[in-house]
Amino acid sequence: MLPELSPEDNDAITTSSKDLQPTLAIIRNPALDILRGMAVLGALFISIWIFGGFSTIQQNELLLQSKGGNYRLWGAMELLLDGKMRALICIVFGAGMVIFLSQKTEQVTTALPDLFIRRQLWLLGFGLLNALVFLWTGDILFQLAVVGILLFPFVRMNPRALWISATVVTLIYCGKIYWNYADDRTAYAKHTAVLAFEKKISKDSLLAAEKKIPLKEQKKDSLSAQQKEDKAAWEGIVQQHKHDLKAKDNGVKEVRNAEFGKIWDHFLQATQGREARWTYQTGVWDVGGMMLLGMALFKKRFFETNFPKSRYLLLGIACIAVGILLGWYRLQFQQYALRDYTKYVIGHWTPFNLLFPLERAFLTVGYAAGILFLFRSGLLRFVWTAFEKVGKLALTNYLFQSIFCLVFFTGFGMGYFGRLQQYQLYLFALEICIIQIVFSVFWLRYFTYGPAEWLLRCLMHWKWLPIKTHNKKSPASALPIHL
Amino acid sequence: MEFVASHPADNESIIPIENTEVVSSSAKISNGHSPHPVETADRIHTVDMVRGVALLGILLMNIPVFGIDWSVANSVLRGPSTTTDFRTMAVIFTFFDGTMRGLFSMLFGAGMVLFTLNKKQVPGGVSVAEYYYRRLLWLVAFGMFNAYILLWEGDILFYYGLFGMLLYPFRKLAASWLIIIGILCITIGMFKNVWWFQQTRETRANYLSAVAAEKEKKKLTTKQEEAKTAWDNIIKSQAPDTVKINKNIQTMRSDYGSIFKHFIPRNSGNETWGTYHGIWDMLSMMFIGMGLFIMGFFSNKLSTSTYGMCLLVGYGLGIPIGYIFFKGAVIDSQDIARYVDAYSIPHWVLYDGRRLLLCLGHASLIMLIYRSKVVPWLMKALANVGQMAFTNYLMQSIICTLFFFGYGFGNYNKLSVHQLYYVVGTVWIFQLIFSSIWLKYFRFGPFEWAWRSLTYWIKQPFVKRENKISES
Repeated sequence: MLPELSPEDNDAITTSSKDLQPTLAIIRNPALDILRGMAVLGALFISIWIFGGFSTIQQNELLLQSKGGNYRLWGAMELLLDGKMRALICIVFGAGMVIFLSQKTEQVTTALPDLFIRRQLWLLGFGLLNALVFLWTGDILFQLAVVGILLFPFVRMNPRALWISATVVTLIYCGKIYWNYADDRTAYAKHTAVLAFEKKISKDSLLAAEKKIPLKEQKKDSLSAQQKEDKAAWEGIVQQHKHDLKAKDNGVKEVRNAEFGKIWDHFLQATQGREARWTYQTGVWDVGGMMLLGMALFKKRFFETNFPKSRYLLLGIACIAVGILLGWYRLQFQQYALRDYTKYVIGHWTPFNLLFPLERAFLTVGYAAGILFLFRSGLLRFVWTAFEKVGKLALTNYLFQSIFCLVFFTGFGMGYFGRLQQYQLYLFALEICIIQIVFSVFWLRYFTYGPAEWLLRCLMHWKWLPIKTHNKKSPASALPIHL
Repeated sequence: MEFVASHPADNESIIPIENTEVVSSSAKISNGHSPHPVETADRIHTVDMVRGVALLGILLMNIPVFGIDWSVANSVLRGPSTTTDFRTMAVIFTFFDGTMRGLFSMLFGAGMVLFTLNKKQVPGGVSVAEYYYRRLLWLVAFGMFNAYILLWEGDILFYYGLFGMLLYPFRKLAASWLIIIGILCITIGMFKNVWWFQQTRETRANYLSAVAAEKEKKKLTTKQEEAKTAWDNIIKSQAPDTVKINKNIQTMRSDYGSIFKHFIPRNSGNETWGTYHGIWDMLSMMFIGMGLFIMGFFSNKLSTSTYGMCLLVGYGLGIPIGYIFFKGAVIDSQDIARYVDAYSIPHWVLYDGRRLLLCLGHASLIMLIYRSKVVPWLMKALANVGQMAFTNYLMQSIICTLFFFGYGFGNYNKLSVHQLYYVVGTVWIFQLIFSSIWLKYFRFGPFEWAWRSLTYWIKQPFVKRENKISES
């Protein structure tokens, strides 16, 4: 059986380690490490689409076919993992913020808020490194850093206020999705008005020709600039939603370019779009809502060992069921929208992805509860150990994924971008997962911190710190849970 | 002192202005704890004074954006250099472009140091850092309110709120380090400018080679075709588009709803890219402001000869560079092709250096005027404006949008460039008088009061104490 740890024990460990460790070390929570490990590995199975060149166009093609093994594989991944692993990372990050900021301060020379903000700023640096040097356009560290700073004043809130904040933020996210769609509907309405006008003037001119009305007396028979603009606006929107096979190999040539500078140029726009536009319009709500949820869950003792097992089971089943249901419907409607966007806009008040934020939240919480239930039940222990180790080295592993993929897929390395089938991409991701699990297990035998984690700690404290703590009672491995 | 510091807000409630936080808390600290730099009335006064000047001055640069379509200003720049409008622009741009925002950013950095240092903290209570970050989150919200609701597309509060969040870990650094970091930020901004310009030059070079190939009757490759259209697009984006301009003017003279909708994409675009690329512009000045404040520059602690030197160097170098910069902008707006062909480095690299010099000049000038005691009433009034800077800034948005936009008096694009500055003068006089009267009766400006109450999440005292007594 796993030893249960009461909060008092926790304190005892912290105080006993006071004299051993001049600077603070984070008390590791195995539940959080497991979830973090799983999220980092799971996220790769979605990121690999972008890393490996499995484009949206190809995905849309599968969605339109809606049959065959390839479609099922993609559908399953999209439904089960897309966005959910990012959400899990954010939830764990939010919980980690609470832990970080509620450490016992007497151990520390620098005030906790200072350390926290410094850590976030260095994390921002890591995010920029990941995006601009390792060329991972989908980097999440940048947003974790920025939104983490924004949410710093929320850490103190009580669980109820956090819960409300998370709900409000998620609803705003839904609202923004709806709002964008409403703009499309307005554009369509304007477009129909212009078409009607066009019809009328062509009729008028026919009539005029019949009745031989002199040219001067004819009404204005061409569209105004505004009308032309309105017409073009909607046509542009339809074009965006249309499935266009011709654009299939877009970007392949650029990514397979052997020159690093050229690949960098190619990715720059996507990276900036992600860091600036996506963060401003979506990321704050996307990442922020889940972080707040993570804080709320942590304060509700969701990640602690005395959270009732039955509740894990109940939450797990219920949330996963709701999440999959929502996702299933979303995919149906997504397909309609893809098939004929005009028809979709006429027929539907709401966009297909209106409830995506909720789908994501439910599924993610469901996963977390399910995993923690299995973990607490002592089932599949080796899996959780593996995840825990990966989770302890989450930052290192996350960055290494970018490096692996940079070397494997771009022309700077082996140039496999766009060359692998969907299932082959997943196999590649699986290989990386195995490598990372083995690496993490071995690394942690000799060191306490992963290389990137150690570097972050050194930067945060602005001094050299040991990469391993010799004393077995050290806080880093303080929790007596050895699976 | 009859207060017991049970709540952090009490620390500041004795005297209404922000800067006196230092006075009140340090007065308490000096009872028991370590001694503290001398707080004089001067010190409070001068910081507010400079802030007041910056606040009023910022309208000099903002008024064209409020009042006219930018194409009007552009056509003035393209026209003869003898018109009143051209001369007005020459003076404004040479002396003030970016400098008032610069000073404002510097004082924001200074205010950051004031806010966080010397605050007593109740063990286990809400930390200074939390108040600081709450305050800035609310500032971000006020900024969005200013941009999206009051419809001021040039809002800076949003950015100040966000960038201020990065300053916190730097607050205890030595002044020299802060200034070095500030200059580093300027350098990054400069590099970005040069890099962008190089890209434009590259587009131009590709275009020229494509055109040369065309002249030799060679068939153009798709790449050359692309190069041609890329440059044509740049030219097109520079040329005035009458349809667009007229539509803009028409919208700005219409009702609130239309302008609101018109501004949504603009505001979100501004806030997205202004944050991402504009960060160095403000962050650099904030760091330098923190450094200068710690050195005592804004608190009237340096010698008269030092301020004199700063004035001399700041204006002596800043004004000529400013004029060169303005000339560059004129050539650029007249003919971008000629500009790109003529210069390998854009005039923009001068922007921040020039701005920094002029900021030093302006601030030193204010300090010297203050010391000379020539116009004490004006200095007092400026300090009042600075004390209510937040209110006055938002009030400028309210006044100007009401004056120019269609749902108010609808004067958009009706004044010529130099006439706009009559409006500026009027607003200045109004704000100088209004602030002085308001602060006679109230502790804070109304928006300061709201901001403070939101930050501490408790209603702050508003009306001045003496009045309360006299009422009772």
